[in-house]
Amino acid sequence: MASVSLNNVTKAWGSVKGVDDQSLHIADREFLVLLGPSGCGKTTTMRMIAGLEEPTSGDILIGDRRVNDELPKDRDVAMVFQNYGLYPHMTVRGNIAYPLKVRGTPTEEIGPRVEAAAEQVELTELLDRKPKALSGGQRQRVALARAIVRTPTVFLMDEPLSNLDAKLRVSMRAELKNLSHRLQVTTVYVTHDQIEAMTLADRVAVMQGGRIQQLGTPEAIYNDPETLFVASFIGSPAMNLVRGQLEAGALKVGERSIRLPDSLPVRDHADAVLGARPEDIDVVDAGQGHIDAEVFAVENTGDSVLITVRLGDQKLTSRGDRYLKRAIDERIGLKLNEDHLYLFDAVSEKRLRG
Amino acid sequence: MTPRTRRRLLVMLQHIAIVLFILVMMVPIIWIALAAFKRHVDVYQLKLLFTPVLDNFSRVFAEPYNLGEKLFNSTVVAAVTVLLAIPVATAAAYAFSRFRLRAQTFLLAIILATQFVPAVVIVLPFFVMYRDLGLLDTLTGLIIVNLAIVMPFAIWMIKGFIDGIPIDTEEAALVDGSSRLQVIRNIVLPMAAPGLVTAGIFCFIIAWNEFLFALILTSKDAVTLPVGLALFKAEEGDLWNLMAAAGIIIMVPMFVLALIIRRHFVQGMTMGAVR
Repeated sequence: MASVSLNNVTKAWGSVKGVDDQSLHIADREFLVLLGPSGCGKTTTMRMIAGLEEPTSGDILIGDRRVNDELPKDRDVAMVFQNYGLYPHMTVRGNIAYPLKVRGTPTEEIGPRVEAAAEQVELTELLDRKPKALSGGQRQRVALARAIVRTPTVFLMDEPLSNLDAKLRVSMRAELKNLSHRLQVTTVYVTHDQIEAMTLADRVAVMQGGRIQQLGTPEAIYNDPETLFVASFIGSPAMNLVRGQLEAGALKVGERSIRLPDSLPVRDHADAVLGARPEDIDVVDAGQGHIDAEVFAVENTGDSVLITVRLGDQKLTSRGDRYLKRAIDERIGLKLNEDHLYLFDAVSEKRLRG
Repeated sequence: MTPRTRRRLLVMLQHIAIVLFILVMMVPIIWIALAAFKRHVDVYQLKLLFTPVLDNFSRVFAEPYNLGEKLFNSTVVAAVTVLLAIPVATAAAYAFSRFRLRAQTFLLAIILATQFVPAVVIVLPFFVMYRDLGLLDTLTGLIIVNLAIVMPFAIWMIKGFIDGIPIDTEEAALVDGSSRLQVIRNIVLPMAAPGLVTAGIFCFIIAWNEFLFALILTSKDAVTLPVGLALFKAEEGDLWNLMAAAGIIIMVPMFVLALIIRRHFVQGMTMGAVR
């Protein structure tokens, strides 16, 4: 059990910076998720912690130990790969036992520990099969068992659920959450799926372009985004972002002027972006809300109804009750929830806090 | 004629063409195979029906042909070549496959380029070199030459198999606690084994059939089977029945090995780790 720290870590290939001077401290037993789109540097960061990549500059510490020069096998980390990385010529038992065998664990200890790990992930009946005779979910559990059999200092998981079908992903998410709670091991988890991040993490580091855009709890990331990127990346459907000129507390969007609540921190700003999540916009009758517009689309997702309106060449989506009924081209009003409105600067993309 | 008749005619023509092709390929081999069991006179009489004899085979092993000695030489040269070539080629192939070496493409290209040099061009320089080194007519000398011939094949073939092993599997082993050598021993070698066997048999066949260098660089003690076969003709006129018997002895192991390769070749080519 230990903390993990990155101090001013950069990974560059020539002039391309995969990770750009980033610092991060992960507390002991914390479940930290690195979240971001492809190419943002999250996997590179994890691989540097594992020792599979060398940082171009900066320090990586596990506990108090600087591990830059240590081989992966000496760092006492365990990793679950996106494609599982199982050994196809060994049985499930052989796969799970390998980390113990290769580290010279006494033979009489190996058997019981393998069985214990297999039991934790419900693989006991499959111990004598080979990986090619297993389903995707079963293979993923073998990879997990192989990681936990050693009780390492740090768990690293590189998009372990992304190769599973949607239903299995949801059930494995819950199992992962439970497992990590039981094992109490520092975990670094990489994903591009924001729902995984929100449900599993103690804290989330949202990354883009090699930099951490925001580091915080899932609630903070969701309710208090620092940048446009974080605001639009988290949340499904995505946060509505409306561009316009903020003048005297009203947002000018094309020909319209949207009167914003007085509680907003900034009243004047050229090139502003207003952010509001679909669930924070209510559909009301025309004239009763902040904005009047015609319905552009109506989508019934089962548990809610999404209504999209047009504002010039921009669109706004509101999420309403599942029994909401409106027709296309009907004129409706949209009421914004004052407590959950966000203002960003369009150029720097940073949150305006006044 | 109707389209159907035309189609049938076409198919028939195709069948005839295939049969002709097979005949062209197989008749010489069948002829030799038959000749090995004939008496000398029967060979010249071109008889298809004859009483087979077996003493051709016992005669070729006796004086003055001593096929047994040449069989021994061929086996030693081919086997030792393979035993030395495969481990070295595997190490090279692993390095090319897994490590980012400077000028990697260039190095690989050069290794392949050695195959483009016609043997005839370098065999005499080899002769002079071996004469000065005292390697003429030695098995060691032949082994060295065959190593040079088969190594590029072996490296390219084995590299192909190692490329087919997902790097995730090796990285998992590294994180699990293996050193690089342990990864190679515990993970890469077992997974690449069909490929190594295929490459080994391929190299064995090449070394076994190698003729030109063996001809020029040996005279008495280190003569291999293909050269020995040619010597039949020189020593005693055209003893086709004996030559045929010797030919069978040379060919049969190769047929067997080729059959084994055929099975493993496909497996080696389509192998890939489980995802």
